Amino acid sequence: MRTNQQDRPGKEACGWIKGDHCGCALKGLTWPFTEFKTLTAQLLHDHILAYPIENFARFDEASRHVTLSAALALYDAGIAYAKGKKQNIGILGTNPDGALISNLAYFEDYLAGGRTLGRAKFFIYTLPSSPLAEAAIHLGLQGPMTYMLAAKTPRETLWAHAGLLIKNEEVEAMLVISSTSEATECRVLTGEYA
Amino acid sequence: MSRMNPVIVACDMTTAYGEGIGACWDGLLSNTRAIRKVTRFSTQSFHSSKAGIVEGLQYKQDASLAVQLLEPLFRKHAAKIPPDALVILATTVGEIDLLERSVLEGTGNAELSRPALLLDKVKGFAGLEDDGMVISNACASSSTAIGFAAGLIDSGNRDCVLVVAVDAVTEFVFSGFSSLMALDPDTAKPFDKNRAGLSLGEGAGFVLLMKRERAEKEGHSIMGEVAGWAVSEDANHMTGPSREGVGLRLSIQKALKKAGLPSGEVGAISSHGTGTVYNDSMEMKAYNAVFADRMVPIYSIKGALGHTMGAAGLIETVIALEVLKKRIIPSTVGLTDIDPEAAGWVSCEKRSLDKQVVLINNAGFGGVNASLVIKP
Repeated sequence: MRTNQQDRPGKEACGWIKGDHCGCALKGLTWPFTEFKTLTAQLLHDHILAYPIENFARFDEASRHVTLSAALALYDAGIAYAKGKKQNIGILGTNPDGALISNLAYFEDYLAGGRTLGRAKFFIYTLPSSPLAEAAIHLGLQGPMTYMLAAKTPRETLWAHAGLLIKNEEVEAMLVISSTSEATECRVLTGEYA
Repeated sequence: MSRMNPVIVACDMTTAYGEGIGACWDGLLSNTRAIRKVTRFSTQSFHSSKAGIVEGLQYKQDASLAVQLLEPLFRKHAAKIPPDALVILATTVGEIDLLERSVLEGTGNAELSRPALLLDKVKGFAGLEDDGMVISNACASSSTAIGFAAGLIDSGNRDCVLVVAVDAVTEFVFSGFSSLMALDPDTAKPFDKNRAGLSLGEGAGFVLLMKRERAEKEGHSIMGEVAGWAVSEDANHMTGPSREGVGLRLSIQKALKKAGLPSGEVGAISSHGTGTVYNDSMEMKAYNAVFADRMVPIYSIKGALGHTMGAAGLIETVIALEVLKKRIIPSTVGLTDIDPEAAGWVSCEKRSLDKQVVLINNAGFGGVNASLVIKP
């Protein structure tokens, strides 16, 4: 069940996941959850998710966080999406570790399997850009997608690049995702703030 | 809007043909493959035993494969890199062999494979103190990075950017591509009727981009201008491209628009051309849509030196500069029986370049596409 808690105020729309809660910053909505299965059902019920996320059970943890925070961010920004509808919106993401956790998951599974056959369902998440791609596929985002890690000021660097893309009229809006091991947040940049 | 005209003033690379641009160019023009049997690890369980590997490059305890590829390049060129250059590292999995060793042997630390740590090493090799950044965009990583660098210069935020790209053939990536059934059991045959998958490859390289005004003022010879760039998403599937090439078409159109050039100005296309059935077909659909009125000469270098993953776009940019300079379009090595869909576009023979613009395209996992427009 969602609750109204203005616990992450900000001028731009933002979807976030931290621990056992997720939410929309501008709208001040928060959803507690204990497992993703019930959370996605609730988000479908509340029309945050326009349709079920395909293969969500296969997603790695990072892809789950990124896709859900991106959907929450679009809802917070009042940008609707629908299955089969593509939009000229881009998605940039950063995190300090690349795909380290999923790389380990793939290769440890490969070793446990006798070092003869890797499993594709793990391998596809061994790229830092994979979670962004999963979000883009579900949300129909056809604008630029890139994982970037600026040694210092990673979020500010992404934000500036997103602004440049909008200023140059290359996209209508940009989703800017920042993840750590504790939290994922997705902010939405539109022409209003670029 | 005024343009800052990002130009390339220096570049070099190491590929399966060996060190240097000349080795690769000569190999392409002689129509010989640099794809050979992999001995770095056992390939017994995989769908292929071949890749475009750099001869003599082996796993070492004290240096990752990426470091072994990059360090000699910068030993040769570090003095040419301006100290104020921003460095952008493009890679898919960087020093993944450090993680391999940690998992397989229980030695070392998997966390040392984090991309930020390789960036620190690259900064050290190049003698740069700026913070730098990593761009990872699947197999479009380095073309994305070059476009990003060009954008920084074009917008006036930077006037000198060093883009460095590297990826190596490891058991990690080889087993993964094998699990996806993406490897040709023999060697890649881009745009061939009988193509059956890609061959992996490895390589490293750099391009130094500069604002044209500064390059001229400092007396650099200009190798080419990055006139247009764009990145797009298929928003379709994690491992398969849009069957109609919609995303690639978008990135090509945006890159040409950025360059202010009509499609009729393009003299050659450096294609992604992996040799997988779906990639090459998707590309042809995109090219047919963008270049509706004529067939533009297309080439792929991946049948010659393999698919170098995150380094592919940079290596292909360096070769595109040679195409502009020598006015020769290489043949597509490995191509013998042209797929009807590509007939009239690709060739088993080298051709002459009769226009001044080369378009470079890459695509990758997750449906990402990147396009660059290069001109003299």
